[in-house]
Amino acid sequence: MIRVENLWKKFGRFDALRGLGFHVPEGSAFALIGANGAGKTTTIKILMNILEPTRGSATLLGVDSRKISPRELRQIGYVSENQDMPSRLTVEEYVAYLRPFYPTWDRDLEASIALQLRLPLERKIGDLSHGMRLKMALMCALPFRPKLLILDEPFSGLDPLVRDEFMEGLLEQAGEMTILVSSHELGEIDGVATHVAFLDEGQLLFQESMSELTGRFREVHVTLEIEAARPAQMPKEWLEMRAIGRVLTFVDTRFDENGLNERIRSRIGGVRGIDAQPMVLRSIFTTLARAARDGRT
Amino acid sequence: MVWHIFKKDWKLAWVFVLLVSVIHWMDAAIIHKLGLFGEDPTLGMLAEVLPVLAIFASMFLIAAIVHLDPIPGVRQDWLARPIARRDLVLEKFLFVVLMVNGPILAEVLLQGLANGFSFRLSLLAAAWQTEFLFFAFTLPLFSFASVTQNMTQAFILGSGCAFLIGMFTTVASDLNGRAHGTLEPLPWSGVGWVGETARFVLVVAAAITILGLQYFRRKTLVSRFLVALFGFMILATLFLPWKPAFAIEQKLSPKPNAGRDAVVAFDSGLGKFRSPSGLRASSEQRRRYNVGEHASVFLPLEVAGIHTDAFLLTDRVEVRFISMDGKIAFHGIGEEVEVAKEGPNAVADPIYQEIQLPTSVYRDTKDQPVRAQVDYSLTLFRLRGSYSIPALGGDERMPDFGWCETKMNEAETAVELRCMQPGKGPTCATLFLENKATGQRNPVRSSCHGDYSPYSGWYTGDNMAQFGANIPFRDSSGLAKFPVDGPQLPQSRVVIRVYEPEDHFTRSLTIPEIRLKDWEAQ
Repeated sequence: MIRVENLWKKFGRFDALRGLGFHVPEGSAFALIGANGAGKTTTIKILMNILEPTRGSATLLGVDSRKISPRELRQIGYVSENQDMPSRLTVEEYVAYLRPFYPTWDRDLEASIALQLRLPLERKIGDLSHGMRLKMALMCALPFRPKLLILDEPFSGLDPLVRDEFMEGLLEQAGEMTILVSSHELGEIDGVATHVAFLDEGQLLFQESMSELTGRFREVHVTLEIEAARPAQMPKEWLEMRAIGRVLTFVDTRFDENGLNERIRSRIGGVRGIDAQPMVLRSIFTTLARAARDGRT
Repeated sequence: MVWHIFKKDWKLAWVFVLLVSVIHWMDAAIIHKLGLFGEDPTLGMLAEVLPVLAIFASMFLIAAIVHLDPIPGVRQDWLARPIARRDLVLEKFLFVVLMVNGPILAEVLLQGLANGFSFRLSLLAAAWQTEFLFFAFTLPLFSFASVTQNMTQAFILGSGCAFLIGMFTTVASDLNGRAHGTLEPLPWSGVGWVGETARFVLVVAAAITILGLQYFRRKTLVSRFLVALFGFMILATLFLPWKPAFAIEQKLSPKPNAGRDAVVAFDSGLGKFRSPSGLRASSEQRRRYNVGEHASVFLPLEVAGIHTDAFLLTDRVEVRFISMDGKIAFHGIGEEVEVAKEGPNAVADPIYQEIQLPTSVYRDTKDQPVRAQVDYSLTLFRLRGSYSIPALGGDERMPDFGWCETKMNEAETAVELRCMQPGKGPTCATLFLENKATGQRNPVRSSCHGDYSPYSGWYTGDNMAQFGANIPFRDSSGLAKFPVDGPQLPQSRVVIRVYEPEDHFTRSLTIPEIRLKDWEAQ
């Protein structure tokens, strides 16, 4: 559905993207994760042909992003945290304006989304809160049943209630559409994303399915017989090694239930007990972010 | 989808459109209310201010329309919508033309009709004004607005451009003054329209390029560079040379070769120039080029070969005084000369070519023999029509002179003739007071200015030419006595003779050797 290859984007002397490459499988909910300034928004704006790449290519729906025409845009829903819509039109007026551009626009679906998101149709867009505006952007992105939905930091600045409403609205209509969502917090797309790509300083650190990701990350607690100390030699897949009292804690990024015991005991002596706990996405993200910062990935 | 986007823009901008239209129409109403003599000072002040306000408001309106869907930037929602760029640019173009130029067309049309002119004449004036503003105002501003994201950016960039244009024109004007008017030959001349047309062509080329780049490729940086480049090229047209421009005008002469017999020769027999008496009422000479102190020399001329009821006007007089060793001592522009031959027995006044030189140049060359080379670009006018209007309380409509009224001025020294005509008005006319009973006449006054543009229009106003003249009948100092004076006015009339261009041609005059000192005024 989306394929990005060796994508570069320069702003003056600053490289916002440095040879980025990933692909979004059809039907997936693909999360583009990275800290602020990692290049997520730049990537999305290139995909939408709002920005032009300096080098490399990005294709979506089989078309080079630079050649996207209204035909492709009729199949793409786009929601961004900073989307400028005509502030002096009411929600209803703007939706009415958009309708004719999409031959597949479903007015019943539009009505049900408006109801679900509890949008004040008669209010001017300029008078809407940030959250309301995002919900409105979502409402304008779904009624034509896009094949591809691109969400750029859609949860930014939303309170939990609005975020949940937004997510409910999104998930109910998701159907078979492919979703690309960017976020700087993995926790926000917990339960939504099927795939994830992690960006750091304009480069891709990894891309994999969510099940693989959650499956290979474990927070491991090793209880020792004596006061714990960081081992001199440590496999590179073990991150964030800490010693507190007799407990040695680290994150195993290549968790293997069968082999863990042996791998630990071969490197650390005096092991009394080993406990490996699944990690929440947020913790995985922060671990990776720190490792990226320290140059360990 | 053009009409669909149009409706959205109307919903967003109708208040602004209406406001700007109202300013235009208020302006038209005030000008109509002022009448020909414009005696109400408050309305007069408003008539000065409103056209400027209207043009600024139109400027902001164009930017506002374009900024409803701005091109630069990465946050606009429309960028992610299936809106065909072609539809968008067409819609903006249509909206700008209809909402900015439309009210102006209506303004001029209504102004013409309200002042009693025919629908055809009024519509023609309105169409020309709209066309002029389209090329000179709407299109360049539309392109400019497309390279800006919002009003603040447009205002800042626009102010910067206005400053640079101001600087450029000031420096150019100063340099032109130093070059004695030889550097910027076209502006304010009869063939100024050639330079203007060149600017229009550049504007169209710039607009097509910039709008294409912006709406289809969103290349704002490149477009901004092109704005600067085309802007510079447009300014450079100020320096377009005279000869090719006048050659174009010659090709367009309504009656080529009508002036083939015209001869301009040096006639030393006329003697030195003497300052005219108070009775001589030639048109005021205009000075545009002098910088600092200057001295004048007057070369006596013989102008022959002009047919009856003709009027010869110099469009440009290029003068070179060359010293005997071949160096150019002076290169500049001579004063305008008019030669009228009204009626078969017209008595010709002696004709002098005035040349103003910087005092320093004059001082250095006055005693030396120099060769004078004078290149004339001339226009011969033929009489188109002769009309008359009562000297007092006259109210006439004349086919070639529009609608005119007369009254006595407040000082009771002259008859005020004020006229209005759709379009640019007459180019050349002569006027005199005549006692209908006795046939006595006051000296003829001429009012001729070269403007041979095939169109009419201006940035402000309503394309209704307002013109006139004060025709004196009493000298307040008491030195001069007019044949037709105050008591005769009730049985007198103003005779208006309207001339139209017939042929444009050039003549060269070479005087092998003269001393400037010999041709000072006596």
